[in-house]
Amino acid sequence: MDVSQYLDVFIDESNEHIQSLSDNIMILEKEPENADTINEIFRAAHSLKGMAGTMGFKKMQHLTHDMENVFQEVRNDNVKVNSDLIDILFDCLDAIEGYVSTIKETSDEGSEDNAVTIKKLNDFLTKETGSDIVSEKTPEVETTVAETASETNSSDEQNDAVAYTHLPLSDDDKMKVIDELEGGANVIGITVNTSKECLLKAARAFLVYKAVEEFGEIIAYSPSAQDVEDEKFETEFSLLLQTDCDQDDIKSAIENVSEIKSAVIGPVNLDMYHENVAVQEAPDKSENPKVEKTKTILSTIDNSKEQASKTSKNAIAAANKGKPVATRTVRVDIDKLDDLMNQVSELIIAKNTLVARANSSEAEGGADLTEQIEYLERITTGLHESVMKVRMVPIESVVNKFPRMIRDLSRKLNKPMDLIMSGEETELDRTVVDQIGDPLQHLLRNSADHGIEDPKTRKMSGKPETGKIWLTAYQEGNNVIIKVKDDGAGIDTDSVLRKAIERGIVSEEEGKKLSKKEIANFLFMPSFSMAKKITDISGRGVGLDVVKSNVESLGGDVEVHSEMGVGSTFTVRLPLTLAIIQALMVEVRDEKYAIALASIQNIEYIPVTDIKYVQAKEVIYLRGTVIPLVHMDTILDCQDTEDKPEDITVVVVNKGDSSVGVVVDNLIGQQEIVIKSLGKVIEDNKYISGATILGDGEVALIIDVNSLF
Amino acid sequence: MSKSAELDATAEVKKQYIVVTLGDEFYGLDISFVDNIVRMQKITRVPKAPTHYKGVINLRGEVVPVMSIRKKMGLQEDVITNATRIIILKLQDQGFVGILVDSVNEVFSLGESEIERNFNTKDSKSNFINGIGKNEARLISLFDIDKIATEASK
Repeated sequence: MDVSQYLDVFIDESNEHIQSLSDNIMILEKEPENADTINEIFRAAHSLKGMAGTMGFKKMQHLTHDMENVFQEVRNDNVKVNSDLIDILFDCLDAIEGYVSTIKETSDEGSEDNAVTIKKLNDFLTKETGSDIVSEKTPEVETTVAETASETNSSDEQNDAVAYTHLPLSDDDKMKVIDELEGGANVIGITVNTSKECLLKAARAFLVYKAVEEFGEIIAYSPSAQDVEDEKFETEFSLLLQTDCDQDDIKSAIENVSEIKSAVIGPVNLDMYHENVAVQEAPDKSENPKVEKTKTILSTIDNSKEQASKTSKNAIAAANKGKPVATRTVRVDIDKLDDLMNQVSELIIAKNTLVARANSSEAEGGADLTEQIEYLERITTGLHESVMKVRMVPIESVVNKFPRMIRDLSRKLNKPMDLIMSGEETELDRTVVDQIGDPLQHLLRNSADHGIEDPKTRKMSGKPETGKIWLTAYQEGNNVIIKVKDDGAGIDTDSVLRKAIERGIVSEEEGKKLSKKEIANFLFMPSFSMAKKITDISGRGVGLDVVKSNVESLGGDVEVHSEMGVGSTFTVRLPLTLAIIQALMVEVRDEKYAIALASIQNIEYIPVTDIKYVQAKEVIYLRGTVIPLVHMDTILDCQDTEDKPEDITVVVVNKGDSSVGVVVDNLIGQQEIVIKSLGKVIEDNKYISGATILGDGEVALIIDVNSLF
Repeated sequence: MSKSAELDATAEVKKQYIVVTLGDEFYGLDISFVDNIVRMQKITRVPKAPTHYKGVINLRGEVVPVMSIRKKMGLQEDVITNATRIIILKLQDQGFVGILVDSVNEVFSLGESEIERNFNTKDSKSNFINGIGKNEARLISLFDIDKIATEASK
């Protein structure tokens, strides 16, 4: 079978299973007896094995098979979970990940057969169980999903109560069947089982339907055709066919469809689906010996329906367990989304143009036009929101690898520590999420290595031996805040300052004036490592400055707050989206500029006489705080004007805890703006972070508020 | 155009150039780098940008920087007239860059034999020229696009 076209699906699904394995093994380490988790792991390993087998990746199949064996034993309580096992399992996981990434690059699993890992697995098994495990699957393994499914399966094979004899049909379908039967037509039931490894069940089922339709008319489906199309079935589906053809012909036609394990065919009689008709003689008793039994089971349709729906409910529950996060998704190339976004941006600009036009031509009786434009406005806003939402993904995809990382670090550093995560569901623009992983990893490693003390020191300072690291994410206005906090030693500002003076970053005198916060921020300077010795975890001085530049390139910022002996908190602030923001449009001379609304604290009109001077710098004193003033016209090299106004317009912006008053000439108003790059050649501009296109097609620049501090 | 196409077929491989004017002189731009030619429109000044940048314009929803090739070559300040055009170049690394010219005349095909590569002027503007095309009575200075590109990023 040519499987190359399924490679993408295989890689995506493998990664999902690997993630699920990783998560569950973590849980298992904490709760070795958790049966749900063990089942979950078993299922994931089993799926991986099946997928690898189908795709012909023998080595990967071998490894996952042995993993499955181990879990089989764990499930049967023959083996107890201990930390050795967890280590081995993580080794296996790394090996599988290795396979998948090799497959991703070369479409082949490579030559590494991970014999050592497999041997470790088997040795463990031998040791724990005292005997060699038969590596063949036990029958129980076959029934991977749920008891209910296995019930149907096994009953199937014994031909005891074949599914087609008691299908949960809708009333309409029931009537149809009864009509056909009473009209003397020959109706047969077919129950088909796909093989377990079948990847495209829906497609196989469709082929079966097509094959069967050659022989007659399909009267009823179970599960419904729609459910089958959506793969909402385990391995089995049934249908009722009105036909005069030979059953063996039909059977062989069905079984010719690949990946179909078996098909059971038999005639259907009125008893099976007739509500009121009492026991009647079956039309062909000799061919259908199980009717007697079925009769007793299904004395009334209602009964059977109830039972069937119960079974299917259980099956669904079981299926849900198997895929805990089965949201219905379509994978879309990010480039396509970018295109869509660009087009929406253009639409918004075009709409803004129309709005501007309508306003200017209102005298000519544009009431109708205005109405239409308002309608258009509603549509574009809605469209914009939807496209934005499409681009938003939870940060979960990035942070879910961290618990494993902290666990490994904890063992490596011999410091017990826990990672407590919250807010994984917080959503961010896809581009931001893709790039935030590295900075966060740096911060966590930093906390684990430098923040958390070794258990002895912790005990001496009266802290619990196990260190704690919190990773918290939440949305705040137009920003997403991600905090990495630890309860470790905190930052020794004195030694940071000493180092800064040593490096010549500040003079001793300047150093005395600095606040603790300012000193802590030295840590973000390039090649400023505080680690006394270099470890392979952190301490090469390439950590925090990279974090800072990465975060800043995403339009965010990072701050540190620390208290000696209590711990440190790194706060990363990121814009919710990079593409479209709410902005305040201002005028400086005759030029228009945009200031991101999120950074604006308030707007004040101040009489010129209220301007005070501190160290020869202009400030205003506003409700108890001193705010330095920045004149936009000087910063932006505008020409001086003659007229000096009596009042100045001050837009107070803030960054972290500090505020600056930005003096502008005029306020235009609030507007939703689409952020555009200035073009590569002049992108590197200190005061301008980008540009936007206004309704009249003019370009306005966006002021980078951070540069004013 | 059909004439030049015929010539292409018969003689050596010819390149097409867009002929523009700066003052009284004719300049040629390799057409393969030209994305678009637009009329003069409002240019938004970008504070703190290098002085040879006039600012940015809106080109079909994209923000494109516009530079003054006159300023770069040490010529007089641009005089904006009705004939002024912005030639949008598509550069490999720098993306779109617009340059201001006084007017756009025509498209011309030149073969290598019609281009004089050896010339000697000590003028700073010759830095941007890598050949002089001879066409009947006119001389057309050919812009070195690579040079413009590297200058653009300075």
